[in-house]
Amino acid sequence: MAEHVRRVLRLWQLYATMDLLYLARGPQVAITFYVSDFVTGVAAVTATFLLAERFDGIGPWTRAQILFLLGYSLLVRALIDIFFNYNLAFISRRIGRGQLDHVLIQPQPLWMALLTEGFAPVTGSGMLLPGLGLLIWSGRELQLAVSPAWWGLFAANVLASIAIVLAFEYTWGSLAFWAPRAAEEINSDSWRLLTQLAPFPLDGLAGLALVSLVTIVPVGLVAWYPSRALLGIDSPVWAAELALTLSAVAFAALAVWLFTRGLRHYGHTGSTRYLDYGHRR
Amino acid sequence: MSAGVIGDSPLFVLEYALRVLRVLVLLSLWRMILEGRPSSGGMPLGSVLTYTLISEVFAQQLQLRTTLRDAFWEGTLVIRFLRPMGLVRQLSAEMLGRWAIHFALFSLPLLAVTPLLGVDPRPASPTAAALFGLSLTLAVAVGLALDVFFGALTVALEQPVWVIDYLRGAVGTLLSGSLLPLAYYPWGLGDAFSWLPFAAMAWAPLAIFTGTGDATVLLASQVVWAVALWPIADWLWRANREKLVGYGG
Repeated sequence: MAEHVRRVLRLWQLYATMDLLYLARGPQVAITFYVSDFVTGVAAVTATFLLAERFDGIGPWTRAQILFLLGYSLLVRALIDIFFNYNLAFISRRIGRGQLDHVLIQPQPLWMALLTEGFAPVTGSGMLLPGLGLLIWSGRELQLAVSPAWWGLFAANVLASIAIVLAFEYTWGSLAFWAPRAAEEINSDSWRLLTQLAPFPLDGLAGLALVSLVTIVPVGLVAWYPSRALLGIDSPVWAAELALTLSAVAFAALAVWLFTRGLRHYGHTGSTRYLDYGHRR
Repeated sequence: MSAGVIGDSPLFVLEYALRVLRVLVLLSLWRMILEGRPSSGGMPLGSVLTYTLISEVFAQQLQLRTTLRDAFWEGTLVIRFLRPMGLVRQLSAEMLGRWAIHFALFSLPLLAVTPLLGVDPRPASPTAAALFGLSLTLAVAVGLALDVFFGALTVALEQPVWVIDYLRGAVGTLLSGSLLPLAYYPWGLGDAFSWLPFAAMAWAPLAIFTGTGDATVLLASQVVWAVALWPIADWLWRANREKLVGYGG
């Protein structure tokens, strides 16, 4: 166990260095990547922010609570960008393009490669600052009385949200094992499904629509539901926390089951995307 | 050929699911905000709901994208130069074919279920309907010019295709009013944004459809942007043609 942890840390250090070197090629590359991520992230939450500013809140959410929701949403996205970059969160591309072989031939377990290879603390951090900024800003406006227990819940919720997003991506991405060409870009759509709608409060929805958005397409579990729990909009808090944790476990179990089944199929067929002389079909 | 888009990638259903969910979320959001606030300014609730729905029905026209970025990514520009037809005409033809498919499979069914969503999809008046047609045509002209402009900019700056594309998509959605009506932006931002070319792509036709803005001013701004943008886009494209070799041209 300790050896595994040491190795993960060593690999993170290695990939962080490589990520820094990639950006150090020149100021144009660095500025383009960083500004692009920054602007894309800020734009993604600006619509909700403008509405909250215009109407001094949205429904049961005050303006400051909306800021927290947006900050939380950006933080989840930023952490996925930092830890699962280079198409690790878009696994259908790796599988569909036959690039999983590049990981399988490495002398280390697959889970370790998937956990470390996408570490991009420099190029992937464009959304981190606006996310943290919004959280700090909202925290001051809300005058949150944060205790160590609250921080523990916050960390647990962020982890659960990240696990749900990744599980959703891997569940859909696993289809690329069976349909490499048709499903190669499926994670772009599944990613958009979750991230475009995550910064919106879903309180106005009811019935089937709301149930769908916390189960089939778990948009509500990315930021809305955990933020409600952390801000005390939902009560009792422990019930919301339990529901979120169980959801994360259920989504992760489904993703692991489907991914391992796909991997077994891949073991028999391999990639069909490359011709003998190396060109992609 | 355009039907091949669906045949090649049957996962277009996911994209449709996203669009339906987006409409549902936005409609619920507006109801949550505006119900019980009759004097909230901007637009009445009914008009905002119509605006949101029509924005999704005509999403492909109001947030226009040709296959230029795909040609960059796949390195197939050189093949297009060999064809006996101008590049913009080729891109437009492909775009129109795709529009026809998605309009039939998504937009028309969405219009058909509007009573279930509690939204009146009709334009503000017959005149508004006629002017919307004209405005939509101008919006397409502006959108096409911007697509060529950003394509040329990608080449000029020698940047990865998707970096510029994501940036344009994110900023464009905000500035064009395709997601939220500009009338509801705070601090006078909507008024400022309405003078930008992105607003000529979505805000202008949708404001005309819902009878929100002065149609003459909105149409005039669209004409100005269409006339101004095409020479700029054409010049930038020609100025950077030689660099296209890096993108498969």
